[in-house]
Amino acid sequence: MANSDVGRPSNVPLWILSGLLLLYGILVYSGMFEQLFKTLHVHKQVDLMEAMSFILGGVGVVTALMRGGRMNKPQTKLDIFVLETIPGILFIIVLAMGIRWFAEPLVTIMSDSLVPVLGFKIHKVLNLNYVVLGIIVGIVITNSWGIPAFAASGVKTARFVLKMGVILLGARYSFAELAKLGMVSVWMIGFFVLGTVFFVLFLGKMFRQPKSMTGVLSAGMGVCGVSATVACAPVVRARCSEMAYTIGTILGFGILCMFAFPTIGKIVGMNPTQFGAWAGTGILNSAQVAAACLAFNSVDIKTLKVGEIFNITRVLFLPVIVLVLASWYGKQSGQKLSFKEVVIDKFPLFIIGFLILFFMSSMGVFSPPSHYKGKYLDFSYNQRTEVTPEELVVLGSAQAAGIPGLKAEEQAAFNDLVHQRQIAGNYDERDNKSVFDATARKRMAALESIIARDKGGEITIAKDVKSAIKHAVKQVHKKSKTIVTLTDAMIWFFAYGLIGLGMQITRKSLAQAGGWPLVMGAISGVTKATLSFIVVMYFVKDVVLK
Amino acid sequence: MEKNVKAENCTVNNGQQDQQDNEERALSVFASERNEDLTALSLVLVVTFFVLLFTKWLA
Repeated sequence: MANSDVGRPSNVPLWILSGLLLLYGILVYSGMFEQLFKTLHVHKQVDLMEAMSFILGGVGVVTALMRGGRMNKPQTKLDIFVLETIPGILFIIVLAMGIRWFAEPLVTIMSDSLVPVLGFKIHKVLNLNYVVLGIIVGIVITNSWGIPAFAASGVKTARFVLKMGVILLGARYSFAELAKLGMVSVWMIGFFVLGTVFFVLFLGKMFRQPKSMTGVLSAGMGVCGVSATVACAPVVRARCSEMAYTIGTILGFGILCMFAFPTIGKIVGMNPTQFGAWAGTGILNSAQVAAACLAFNSVDIKTLKVGEIFNITRVLFLPVIVLVLASWYGKQSGQKLSFKEVVIDKFPLFIIGFLILFFMSSMGVFSPPSHYKGKYLDFSYNQRTEVTPEELVVLGSAQAAGIPGLKAEEQAAFNDLVHQRQIAGNYDERDNKSVFDATARKRMAALESIIARDKGGEITIAKDVKSAIKHAVKQVHKKSKTIVTLTDAMIWFFAYGLIGLGMQITRKSLAQAGGWPLVMGAISGVTKATLSFIVVMYFVKDVVLK
Repeated sequence: MEKNVKAENCTVNNGQQDQQDNEERALSVFASERNEDLTALSLVLVVTFFVLLFTKWLA
């Protein structure tokens, strides 16, 4: 980083930004936007909006005053790392606030209103969340007006903040999820994830692509799309344009698969389990997996469940892939390096952070070890898990009147819900947690099946009964506050980092990558879809869960 | 802002590699990858500690 004593960028933009932040804070505090926030479903974020606006506005004012006093003096470390970067940091945070609180909710609302026309949520399928919106905003700014001079130093903090987000990503997953899966899905996903990664690396070598491009594409195509791309990009030192290319390739290929898979599945006569396994293996983006499973079979939730389980398994391979790519990237072409040089000297330190949080998460530091993204099932006896007294009356009346068309296990689960007031295992088995939980899970699945069959028109249950059953299911689904808070922090770091990285993607840099990433993505994607199709048809019959 | 590097050839000689590394550094406020990673790791551990403090230990 060169120290320049040349004139610093003007202080005016910083004053304007700070003023805008403070003004926004005052307007939010006055309650003026209450109705607008309710419409956008961000009214619960008001406290955070006020805190961020006032704190950041204050930081901006103090920085502007300090910069004003040091305008013609040589730059010290305080200038380089703090005073000169803060204007750019505030600029990116303001953009991130706009995306998180206005752009993203607007896109969601528009997408929801299109569901009757399209039949699915377009924002989920196109992954139009803060991640992609952030990159798009960054690209638009840099290719239209260019990065403002006052923000240039702040933009250089983007990758560092993105790394903080990647480290926090580790807290969202846990090894215990694997324990719930059948070995078929673990072996199958493991084979395809690692196979795809190595296949893309091989293609990269064949097509003579830069290692950074190949590495990031292999993670994206092998694991699970966007989050894997973001996590692995710093490991292989991928350029921003390469990340953008990878995300574009993954989403584009996924959209094609989303429409092709259900049609092919129906033509060859796959059963629900087979299709779930195939979609969960062959399609990369979790929303696209869900859309394909529901398109194939909207009545029986088994397809969706299997698809999701395969999808979760794939994400759990992320730490393994990170290690593989770090070792692969550490080996410089044509150089023989020792294990120590590859794994210890060349290993990205921030990935150790990711692994530390992943292990903490698996040990149950943040949430029960069995959680996934902070969500876990709690069947223990306590009032917070029960249905309300009014709902119990509704369920009791329905039981007395009888619900026609229920299967034996559904009827048994329904009777037990009335008997115990909540979804739970057998009272006599409460000391043996694994048996107690397994029984409770079966009952929950049976109750979910009642809801799904009612939705599909197979049976008919009264509205208030349906609502009571849904509430009973909701009551045993708990969320860890710690993971939710860490995830929020991660989302802000990602939003910030990706806007900044988007600002480093110029038209020229995209043109340089050419069409090879698309070719490699298409070849590896089609190969994986075909091979997994064959494996599913021959090896997956009906048992992927324990 | 970003000076793009031609990466069309698969064999990147050392000179070009150094140039690429320097340009990558120019996109960061940190003088080295190690400093960047260590700072990110330390800050995240601090954030995690405070989150645990307020959402779990003191909750």
